[in-house]
Amino acid sequence: MSTEHGAIARIWNWRITAFCALILLVVAIMAVSFGPISINFFKVFKTLFDLPGGSTGQDRTVILELRLPRVILGALVGAALATSGAVYQTVFHNPLADPYLLGAASGAGLGATIALTSTHHDLHAALPIFAFLGGVLAVFTSFVISGKFFADPNSLLLSGIAVGSFATAIQTYLQQKHSAALRPVYSWILGDLTSASWGVVTWSAVYILIALGILFTVAKQLDGLMLSDEEAYSLGINPKKLRIIAVAAATLATATAVSASGLIGFVGIVVPHLVRGLTHRVTNRSLMTIAMAGAAFLVLADLGARTLLSPAELPIGVITAFVGAPFFLVVLRNRRKVMQ
Amino acid sequence: MFKKWISPLTAVLIICGVLTAPAATASSNPTRIISLSPSATEILFGIGAGSQVIAVDDNSDYPSTAPFSKLSSFTPNVEAIAAYHPDLVVLQSSATNAATIQSDLQKLKIKVFVEVTPNNIAEAYAEFIALGKVTGHPSRAKALITSMKSQISEIIARARKKTPVTFFHELDNTPYSADSTTFIGQIYSDFNLSNIADAANAGGYPLLSSEFIIKANPKIIFLDDGQYGESATTVAERTGWSAISAVKNKHVVVLPLDIPDRWGPRMVDFYRFIAQSIAKIN
Repeated sequence: MSTEHGAIARIWNWRITAFCALILLVVAIMAVSFGPISINFFKVFKTLFDLPGGSTGQDRTVILELRLPRVILGALVGAALATSGAVYQTVFHNPLADPYLLGAASGAGLGATIALTSTHHDLHAALPIFAFLGGVLAVFTSFVISGKFFADPNSLLLSGIAVGSFATAIQTYLQQKHSAALRPVYSWILGDLTSASWGVVTWSAVYILIALGILFTVAKQLDGLMLSDEEAYSLGINPKKLRIIAVAAATLATATAVSASGLIGFVGIVVPHLVRGLTHRVTNRSLMTIAMAGAAFLVLADLGARTLLSPAELPIGVITAFVGAPFFLVVLRNRRKVMQ
Repeated sequence: MFKKWISPLTAVLIICGVLTAPAATASSNPTRIISLSPSATEILFGIGAGSQVIAVDDNSDYPSTAPFSKLSSFTPNVEAIAAYHPDLVVLQSSATNAATIQSDLQKLKIKVFVEVTPNNIAEAYAEFIALGKVTGHPSRAKALITSMKSQISEIIARARKKTPVTFFHELDNTPYSADSTTFIGQIYSDFNLSNIADAANAGGYPLLSSEFIIKANPKIIFLDDGQYGESATTVAERTGWSAISAVKNKHVVVLPLDIPDRWGPRMVDFYRFIAQSIAKIN
């Protein structure tokens, strides 16, 4: 590979990044503009930037208190899931790895179900904390069980699957035992961004941005994980340490996303592959592009979630899976072709 | 010692009441109500607040004069609700993200009445009273309850079994059931019917097995899944079920749609229906 080619690839990469940023901006403005209450587009624009002639009263509240936090939360969650997905795929040398692989989803699901089936109604409000702790604990347990502190990604993956199944079993048992909580549990599992308010946006932004900051910082080194551990060492990378940092940061981002919006599937698989397909590069230097593309994808999916069945809400997980599942199959198929 | 406080307090309360009452009734009775609960819709129309209701959710279907809409009761959308410019929204506490929806509506200065699913008839009546108060029809609500109570006790007095009669209430063909701790279970208890699902000790809606139901041998079966195609015929065709007393003696009853699941004025109709269904069983 010539240096010239490398330079071109880098320019192309930046163009894609700029393109994704532009798409995110357009999608975000669209999402703030559309809803069951029709508000003039220019008024929305003026209200957003606090220019004279913006909306007042109810419309203003709708734009600034209902739609805007939801769009921002969607962008944060999308960025978190897509980036974590890309990182997991690198760490586990598996193109089909997703952020929920190590039991984060099942653990969070168990936490949420414990909160929802509790007889203390105060605990319902603490659902995000329970989901967060459940997700983090499940991943931590997978780590501990896999032993030898992460020497072998495959044993971690397997223990992740076992921990996940175990958490799902307890979760299902609790849910069957408290049948009244069945519907809230179910709708939480499908995921939605209805809970968005500035409070939720603030705390999830803190954790997600810290986690993404760490991942962007180690992005270049992450490419070293695609080599064997010996080769990585020769490049001056400590693969064991890097894996722990990467998985810990990705788990923080995922657990925060899950506790804010439930289990939204497939974003972590679809978006990284889409971006890597466009850039023709497997490198993790495109992590920031992946984050922005993930944000745009989820904001757009949420726009669909609140308008397709309007005036009812459609769980956003339905839309991401509807787009994601066929895409997943295409990735599988192409991969098989390459292997043949 | 408290006594001496009572009269001045009462006086103050009365004065406050007199001062605020006319103004309050004139300005605070909601005139643009949205009901996002089928039961609340029936109650609102029952207590005479129907003319103040401007929209009801997609599951409300009674009375036929209600202003039906596509607003969702399970997954309400705040903006879609706000587009109607309501001044009171009845929201089920079991709706998805009910707490967030309530606070979002309040941000838009819309009053919210949160309806908690009642666990028994007394709690259902309490909702009648609360809705009567908030809509400005407290006396109509009380009168409705009095009339329902007298009709129901008359029905029970006529139809109540002297010795317990076993029954099975089927929610779906899995089959899930409802035990005596549930709202509907308590209605059956009023007739001295004995619920076979109580043996599961699940405190709500247990999943039973065919084997258990055959062994319990209920004298009557109530099917709450008629709308999913279950009937006396399909029940008789199930393996082993033909041995059950209710099937042999043709005491398999398909419950009417919706009425068993709602805690509105039509509860009287449900009592009447059960009374008729068990009349011929000893």
